[in-house]
Amino acid sequence: MNRPIRLIVALALSLAGLASLPGPAHATTYAQIEGTGSTWSELILQQWIADVDSNGMKVVYTGGGSTKGRKDFSQASTDFAISEIPYQGTDERGQSDTSNGRPFAYLPIVAGGTAFTYQLKIGNELVRNLRLSGETIAKIFTLQITNWNDPAITKDNNGRTFPSLPIKPVVRSDGSGTTAQFTTWMDKQYPNIWRPYFGQAGLTSYYPKKAGSQMVSQAGSDQVMNTIKGFAGNGMIGYVEYSYPVNADYPVVKVQNQAGYFVEPTQYNTAVALTKAKINQDKSSQLYLTQVLDGVYANPDPRAYPISSYSYMIIPTGSDDPRMSSAKRQTLADFMYYSLCAGQTKAGPYGYSPLPLNLVQAGFDQLAKLKGADPAVDLTDRDVRSCNNPTFDGKNLSHNVLADKAPQPAACDQAGQGPCGTETGTNQPSTDDGGGAGGAGRNGGEGAAGTDGERGAAASGGEGPAAPGDAPAAIDPETGLAVGAAGSATTTGTTGEVIYADPTELVAGRTTDQRTFGWLAVLELLALVLLPGLYVVGMRRRRTSRAGGRL
Amino acid sequence: MTTLPVQDATVEVEPRTISRKATGADRVFVHSIRAVGATVLVITGGVGLFLGWQAWPTLTHYGLSFFTEASWQPEADILGIRAVLTGTVMVALVAMAIAFPLALLTALYISEYAPAFLRSTLVSLVDLMAAVPSIIWGLWGYFLIMPYAAEFAVWLDRNLGWVPLFDVHNADPDAALIDAAISNYSFSMFCAGIAVAMMVLPMSCAVMRQVFSQTPPGEKEAALALGATKWGMIRAVVLPFGRGGIIGGTMLGLGRALGETIAVLLILSPSFESKWRILEIGGNTVSALIAGRFGDASKSQLSALLAAGFVLFLITLVVNTIAAMIVNRSRSGAGTDA
Repeated sequence: MNRPIRLIVALALSLAGLASLPGPAHATTYAQIEGTGSTWSELILQQWIADVDSNGMKVVYTGGGSTKGRKDFSQASTDFAISEIPYQGTDERGQSDTSNGRPFAYLPIVAGGTAFTYQLKIGNELVRNLRLSGETIAKIFTLQITNWNDPAITKDNNGRTFPSLPIKPVVRSDGSGTTAQFTTWMDKQYPNIWRPYFGQAGLTSYYPKKAGSQMVSQAGSDQVMNTIKGFAGNGMIGYVEYSYPVNADYPVVKVQNQAGYFVEPTQYNTAVALTKAKINQDKSSQLYLTQVLDGVYANPDPRAYPISSYSYMIIPTGSDDPRMSSAKRQTLADFMYYSLCAGQTKAGPYGYSPLPLNLVQAGFDQLAKLKGADPAVDLTDRDVRSCNNPTFDGKNLSHNVLADKAPQPAACDQAGQGPCGTETGTNQPSTDDGGGAGGAGRNGGEGAAGTDGERGAAASGGEGPAAPGDAPAAIDPETGLAVGAAGSATTTGTTGEVIYADPTELVAGRTTDQRTFGWLAVLELLALVLLPGLYVVGMRRRRTSRAGGRL
Repeated sequence: MTTLPVQDATVEVEPRTISRKATGADRVFVHSIRAVGATVLVITGGVGLFLGWQAWPTLTHYGLSFFTEASWQPEADILGIRAVLTGTVMVALVAMAIAFPLALLTALYISEYAPAFLRSTLVSLVDLMAAVPSIIWGLWGYFLIMPYAAEFAVWLDRNLGWVPLFDVHNADPDAALIDAAISNYSFSMFCAGIAVAMMVLPMSCAVMRQVFSQTPPGEKEAALALGATKWGMIRAVVLPFGRGGIIGGTMLGLGRALGETIAVLLILSPSFESKWRILEIGGNTVSALIAGRFGDASKSQLSALLAAGFVLFLITLVVNTIAAMIVNRSRSGAGTDA
């Protein structure tokens, strides 16, 4: 045996030794996982990804729309997908929308409200407290209301008028779960407005844009937000997850709920609304844990934000999944453990709403399927009780703390009152309770405690609608000053900064001006053409006459 | 003492056969080079074949309506490329309208007027423009240029609105508060065309500059000696000589402009209308359509997208081939004979 060969053998041996080291020695090995999908949930997901990065978990997530997420997953080109809506089987128009036989499970990751953000300026001041009823919104996005001075908008804002300005709805051009959630809501709540526009019933992931209309389409929530807040955004309104306007410090529309209050989709209002979400509890169903939101849209609680929903992760559960390995499954499990537990504390500040307990619990059941597929996945110590989720305290698991402490809406937010002067898009609910969100009392608390549909239904309606009248002294959350008695009609001046418009229409031009300047322009044009020629002719004549004189 | 080898008289002396055939290492080299050259053809042909093969189901399914239908609704089984083809052409034309004079004058300045110490700097600066990724040009157009482009568009509409090209529907350029209508003038094919022009410019400029620099110095000096001014010399000698290069460079740029994707995707608000109103919001191009819809396309949608791509491929192929022919002809100095 000569030297080089001996060296190679030694190297090979040491490499083999290295390769056999991991596994038993290290409890957790991670591998990079990749996913695509919803831009609705992208902001909170990117935050979670940044958080777990220091633990050695490498997660790569690219938005691109829920439709893309579901498709990439079905083609086994990603390890997970995020989608607002489940696989549609055959989608609304007969196109196939399945996982192509790849085994999967749905896992709720975060809740949130689909917000309507807008740019509307009065005298260079941004309107920040616009209120709209669901019907007005549906009519705006079906092009029945096309101007901001429409009487319906004035009525929603209790007589406040806005300038005559065309409304430009901004919609998504790509296949989007946000569009799907929004159109589901319109289809369920306002079928006689939505269906004639769409031409059929049901939801769609592609917003139908009529050619020649004032509608603007953009790809991705980011682009929609950028367009609305951009230099050309005046008069635009679009739909994105609440986190986008919160991050951009842009106002959102307060949407009227069943109880007649105009509310903003803060984490509290979303949590309260979703107590009425009907979750599929059939564990054997492929649609286990998916949502039916009819109850949410019609939630009678005055604090509920109607267009609230959950977002889902689609995880691969097959034991022979071509893309997955033990390390990848472990990464996915631990990443979701973080997201469902500690990660939920970040949901509120980022403009989302944390998941209630029962869904976190069910989420862990779904994660257990990863271990079912691959016994090497370690799930010990990863359960609900060790969790630090803000919706429950760990002692009483059936208690939704967040819906408890959700503050009652301010009296001026009721239909026919106000409007409140408080700004929207600040992630703070508008309320008459002192100190805003944190110090909110427990009024109505018992009512919204339950997270599954029926319990919430039984109690939440009870105290709710009466609550605003109970509020003893209305205190403005920003200035801390007491304002007029709650319930009185004119609490508009809460901040003293309310912008009012008194739209006056000016004609673009006066006919006399036009005629005068028109003739002037013609004269100038004639002069421009003729004068140089005349001048030259005159000069030449003078020269010849002078030359002739000399001759 | 040296002895010469004695020639064997019986052996007949035969002259070495002269052959142009490569032998030995040469032969290996020639064959490998030929193979490499052939791969280019194979790849281009393969792209065309693949696109055509993928596009076939769509073309047979929709027939002629694929070219005459403007809307793109694969879910409703209605789609066609009339709108995106118009958009592609309009964006490319806007880009060329901006890039052509800029490229021509830049090339003339660099090859004829620029002092020697500036010339190399300018050449590398123009080349640097080509090295900027298109997404950067897209962001540049979106955030930096579009606000001003929109205002310029308002001005154009106000003064030249009677020209169908500069007309904008749904907007009043004379409104007291133009702020309200400015979005109708943004996200337009005109704005996208500006960004595309910046990507086309260096390519056209480089081709033109090369052709200008090949002008025979003798003829230039002759023109000067006959008393021509510098501009007269350029008009009489450089421009006629470089005519082929000017046309060829422009068409090469046009080919690139037709296929430009990311910048257009970023700026243009997608809409499917076949229109010539370049200042108006909305529009779409073939490549932006493919990039935007590729991610979430089902199988039949993918075929439709590839069919659109196939049409674009053929158009660019034709444009580039014509450009290459013109450039090649100009290299022989044919322009000066005229």
